[in-house]
Amino acid sequence: MINEISKQPSPMLQTNNLTKRYEDGVLALDSLTLEVNPGELFVMLGGNGAGKTTTINLFLNFIEPTSGEASINGIVTHKEPLEAKKHVAFVSENVMLYQNFTAIQNLDFFSKIGGHSDLSRDDYRDVLNRVGLAEDAHNKRLKGFSKGMRQKCGIAIAILKDAPAILLDEPTAGLDPKAGYEFIRLLDSLRSENKAILMSTHDIFRAKEIADTIAIMDSGRMIMKEPAANLADQNLEELYLQYMAGHDTKAAG
Amino acid sequence: MLSTLIQKELKGIILSPKFTATFAICSILILLSVFTGIREYEAVSDQYDSATSLVEQELQDESNWGHMSTRSIRKPDPMQIFVSGLTYDIGRWSHVESTRPIKLKHSPYSDDPIFAMFRHIDFVFIFQFVLSLFAILFTFDAINGERESGMLKLVFSNSIPRAKYLIAKIIGSWLGLILPISIPILLSILLVIIMGVPMNAIHWATLATLIALSVLMFTFFISLGVAISAWTKRSSVSFLLSLVIWVMFVLIIPRASVAAAEQMVPVPRISEIESIREAYANDRWKTFYDISEERWMTSSNMNEEESEEERDRAMWDNMVLEDSLRRIVEIEIEEYEVRLLEELRQRKAGQERLAFGFSRISPSSAYQLAASGLAGTDIEMKDRFEESMSQFRSSFVDFTEKKQAESGNTGGIMISISTETGIDIKDGSDNSALDLTDIPKYEQPRRSYAQAFNSTIIDFGLLAFATLLMFVASFIGFLRYDVR
Repeated sequence: MINEISKQPSPMLQTNNLTKRYEDGVLALDSLTLEVNPGELFVMLGGNGAGKTTTINLFLNFIEPTSGEASINGIVTHKEPLEAKKHVAFVSENVMLYQNFTAIQNLDFFSKIGGHSDLSRDDYRDVLNRVGLAEDAHNKRLKGFSKGMRQKCGIAIAILKDAPAILLDEPTAGLDPKAGYEFIRLLDSLRSENKAILMSTHDIFRAKEIADTIAIMDSGRMIMKEPAANLADQNLEELYLQYMAGHDTKAAG
Repeated sequence: MLSTLIQKELKGIILSPKFTATFAICSILILLSVFTGIREYEAVSDQYDSATSLVEQELQDESNWGHMSTRSIRKPDPMQIFVSGLTYDIGRWSHVESTRPIKLKHSPYSDDPIFAMFRHIDFVFIFQFVLSLFAILFTFDAINGERESGMLKLVFSNSIPRAKYLIAKIIGSWLGLILPISIPILLSILLVIIMGVPMNAIHWATLATLIALSVLMFTFFISLGVAISAWTKRSSVSFLLSLVIWVMFVLIIPRASVAAAEQMVPVPRISEIESIREAYANDRWKTFYDISEERWMTSSNMNEEESEEERDRAMWDNMVLEDSLRRIVEIEIEEYEVRLLEELRQRKAGQERLAFGFSRISPSSAYQLAASGLAGTDIEMKDRFEESMSQFRSSFVDFTEKKQAESGNTGGIMISISTETGIDIKDGSDNSALDLTDIPKYEQPRRSYAQAFNSTIIDFGLLAFATLLMFVASFIGFLRYDVR
């Protein structure tokens, strides 16, 4: 028994009763507790204002929690933010990057500030090839890039950081189906590299396709959390709507 | 880490299209201003040389110490190439003679009003108006622009201390703008050397200090832009705010300060002073003539009982007395005028102090005051030259009077009437050349580097303080900045 416990992976991303109430009184996150283990892809579903982005912002210490805590690799983010951020990579909804820089120049800058100053141009090319950015775009300025191409650069930056945890905030929003599919395949490969991935999204179909664990959030609360395998035979969209409706009824009652 | 962040900022600026435009405009402006400044300096120097030769020739042609007068001419200074200041507003020369006070006349702007209309573009103008604006335009969205594009979130998802990021931002922006500007500045210096401008060690030291001062002013506007962007969320807001503050600092505060000082310390106009003096003089002369008339009346009544010889003596005594009394009245009027002018000068100085004090709220004004003080083209330039010319006038007048006395020539006209030789008129001149060996020569006012630098210390300090304040404001703003 003792051996079995010691073999269990300790969560890479964890929140414990994490609560955030803004100065204007809005409760953005209400006692959220979750865990994401290495090799697990945890998807948070929910509408606007559900608390998904707030959770990610708390992990990155962009805001301070009102109570509770978030930790990355066991490091409490609001206590040791710089140390905690060494263990996490982040991909945002709308990756703009530096428009006057080429893809390789962007990668070079972010890999250096991510703590990898020993990488070569070949390394950058390899990772750009891996994320599916055409070779002729490697040395082009990002000004003319589509959102899908920029998103590929964003995930390339996250890959280069080689952090054990990855946070993704609505990464597939606005991507065309092909780009969205490619993106999901990339996440799959990262998961196979034992990364702990926490992704917020509106995209129920992608969530069902890729997630290990799916959580539904509403008004700052996690109203459902299930392993994706348990939901394999269910219509997730219907389930999502049911949960939301049920929560609304409870809230109204 | 810091060097990576600095390099990124530097690269970001250099690769931006607005950089190319800025660099081109600054290079053309700086080089053109120095080139035209040098040509103008050469033209004024030639004019000075011709005028000096002419004055010397006029002195040599003079044959009577009593009639001798000259002109003192302001020598152009190479620093006017970089800081024209009031060079073109102040007269180029003054008459030097016993009967007239020193007054500089014929300023370049009065001769060519077209230049007065649009003013000369010099180094200080470029830094004060053009580069300060560019500094603001490059930095107004330094922080909030990155927030809007989501870059702050991406950058700070890494383990980067905010203070380090901000330092890199300021240093990077600074280097990105200073390095390209230094190219036309170095080329300008080369131009000065190639075109043979007579710069001495003091000029070079002053120029180096001027460049340092300009860079400090530029740094202020860079840190101001960063501070504004660190205190606002939207770049549209920071752009508007930066522009308003720039207009206030560069255009409004200097002019408003002068207007406020004018209201607070009213200074009478020269015409008012002249009319007061005229009224006093009229009053004094009226009294003098009334008393004189009375004295003559009394004297003529008494004279009827005296012999002719006694009458002549009494008349002579009366004339001598009247002469001395007339001289006293003249001195009194002169002293009254001096008092009036001194009062005017003091009120003016008070008004200037107040105007400059107010205007120093603006670092742009502080820069202008420091730069012109450094180059010697400041508001004291006129006083400095008039003072040195007045000293020259005293020594010149003393010298000519001494020479006149030695020559036994009173300077008057002697008319002799003789039945044998007829009428003979002599003006004292013997038409032989005068010995001008020891005649005083006008010495241009000189300032050491220490004097020049000392005149800028307050403004230098204020500029440094304002820059430091902006750094602190940037840090406070950014450390509590919401990067989302």
